[in-house]
Amino acid sequence: MENKILKKDQIGKLFNELVGEYKFYAPKNHKGNISFEQIEKPEDILLDYLNSKIPPKSVLFPNMEVLFEYTLDEKDVEITDRQDLDEKIIIFGIRPCDAYSFELFANFFSSHGNVKDEIYLKKKENTTLIGIGCNTPRTTCFCTSVNGNPFKKDDMDLFLTDLGDSYLVEGISDKGKSLIERLSWLSNAKDADLKKSEELAKKAEEAIVTKIDAKGAVKILETSFEHPIWDEISEACVGCGTCAYLCPTCTCFDVIDETDQYNKRGRRIRIWDTCQSCLYTKETSGHNPRNTKIQRCRNRIMHKFSYYPKNYDLLGCVGCGRCVYLCPVNNDLRVILNKINKIEKKEDEKAVV
Amino acid sequence: MSNPYIPYLTKVKSIVTENKVNDIKTIELEFKKEEEYKKFDYIPGQFAEISLIGKGECPIGIASSPTEEGTIQFTIKKMGTVTTGFHSSEIGDIIGVRGPCGNGWPVEDMKGKNIVVIGGGFAFSTLRSLVIYLLDEKHRKDYGDITVIYGNRDPGEVLYTDVLEEWKKRDDIKVVLTIDREAEGWTEEVGFVAPIVKKVAPSSDNAIAVVCGPPIMIKTTIAVMEELNWGPEQILNSLEARMKCGIGKCGRCNIGNKFICTDGPVFSLAELKELPDEY
Repeated sequence: MENKILKKDQIGKLFNELVGEYKFYAPKNHKGNISFEQIEKPEDILLDYLNSKIPPKSVLFPNMEVLFEYTLDEKDVEITDRQDLDEKIIIFGIRPCDAYSFELFANFFSSHGNVKDEIYLKKKENTTLIGIGCNTPRTTCFCTSVNGNPFKKDDMDLFLTDLGDSYLVEGISDKGKSLIERLSWLSNAKDADLKKSEELAKKAEEAIVTKIDAKGAVKILETSFEHPIWDEISEACVGCGTCAYLCPTCTCFDVIDETDQYNKRGRRIRIWDTCQSCLYTKETSGHNPRNTKIQRCRNRIMHKFSYYPKNYDLLGCVGCGRCVYLCPVNNDLRVILNKINKIEKKEDEKAVV
Repeated sequence: MSNPYIPYLTKVKSIVTENKVNDIKTIELEFKKEEEYKKFDYIPGQFAEISLIGKGECPIGIASSPTEEGTIQFTIKKMGTVTTGFHSSEIGDIIGVRGPCGNGWPVEDMKGKNIVVIGGGFAFSTLRSLVIYLLDEKHRKDYGDITVIYGNRDPGEVLYTDVLEEWKKRDDIKVVLTIDREAEGWTEEVGFVAPIVKKVAPSSDNAIAVVCGPPIMIKTTIAVMEELNWGPEQILNSLEARMKCGIGKCGRCNIGNKFICTDGPVFSLAELKELPDEY
């Protein structure tokens, strides 16, 4: 399969060709924030962005999602299932870290108990990811420390590289390759284009200077549940939950019924929830297994760097840096991991003394 | 594709008020569709997400035994919005049921063993399920001696008085009932569960104990059992947590890397000692 070239002024053509068949999502400036929205006009598509504030998990796992709808009779209930899960979806312009997060999501939603989250998985199956490499990573990016790369392609169906006035288009999966065949008007890429994309990838990787020993932290965390470091790590936290809501790998949700009592109908929905909220684990009796901020901060870090790795042999973080640059008190995950990595060293020093 | 969040629909067949203060009721449910009842294949110790559609859903242990065919039962204490709704329900009302959820009591691994069932207060529901299962004529021969020790605050709080009377009439089960303080007309044991366990002193030889109740009862009882030479792998507990999905997806019932809803709710004391103390 030959690689192709998509000129920047051809994005509208690509959009118009696919939009009837697919629900087309792309990064868009939405009230001052960049998020993945359903696109109606191709000129709204914004590929010149570093990373969206709201991760594209919001497409397949929206902040608020209907699980089913119901109508209530005096003595009966009728339930209506989702009818929209067979729709085909394109997520255009997704970054490698976010595309990788979809794999981590799918791991979790297809296991842990014998019941799968078919709502998420069905949508993912019907989704085509057209991603783009990160020529200029943010200073808060650290994907290369957590199995990622600014040009990681293997979670995408099609992969774009911004060459200046055009994009190099590479078919990665079978789904992506057949899409390229369909877009027969794309011109062929030249060797010089490929060479340029390789240079850009190399430059981008070198631009990420943060290096964290995440695997080392995983090992230390196995024995650090009771360590006093958690007091220090959680001290500045205000418990707002931004880190979890905007984390592309955070999957937690709450379930509530919304009923219109006049019309006797309603819907059961799920909404994003966070382990940083004290209500998250509070039981009806009043008992709360994670009553303190220390416990809640610990749970978030342990989930990503100890529990997820234990269950799936993968880190539960993709290094997008959102929790770093959006934390209102600058409780930087990179600093937290470095503190954890120093635990053992300090103890080794003690042992030497 | 099947949407795992859609409940089966059942109808309330009977309602029994279980205690004098009238805040615990047992609700018996009949499935609207026979084929869905057949799919609801459970063992004692499992739970279900039951819902008043329009109000909400909550996880409740299954109080009936699979040997009581045709219906399922839940014993519900009036606590929050949903459970209060259940308390106001009437015969014929529609209740949603998702499940069965969780691992349940390991009735297969318990075969050939003596079984000691220790319960305190309202946590007796899945123990009722277990004992009825063990005493069923199809299963009784698979298990050794059965001892039940069941404690309550006062006589008015004792659940399932009818089945307890039936058990007491049998000679293949030992039933010890206790209340915290003396009360008029009470002729059985008096005292907290832990000292009564010490007095009954069930042997740990080839035995499994299941212990359910409030945290303080569990703590004191386990201390007594350790004195009586019970090993941590012989003692089983059933844990609770706030839950939404019941199928290992919503996230909140984790203890370390385990989820109470899918890896539990039944854990041996040996397993719990391996997990962080955060439940």
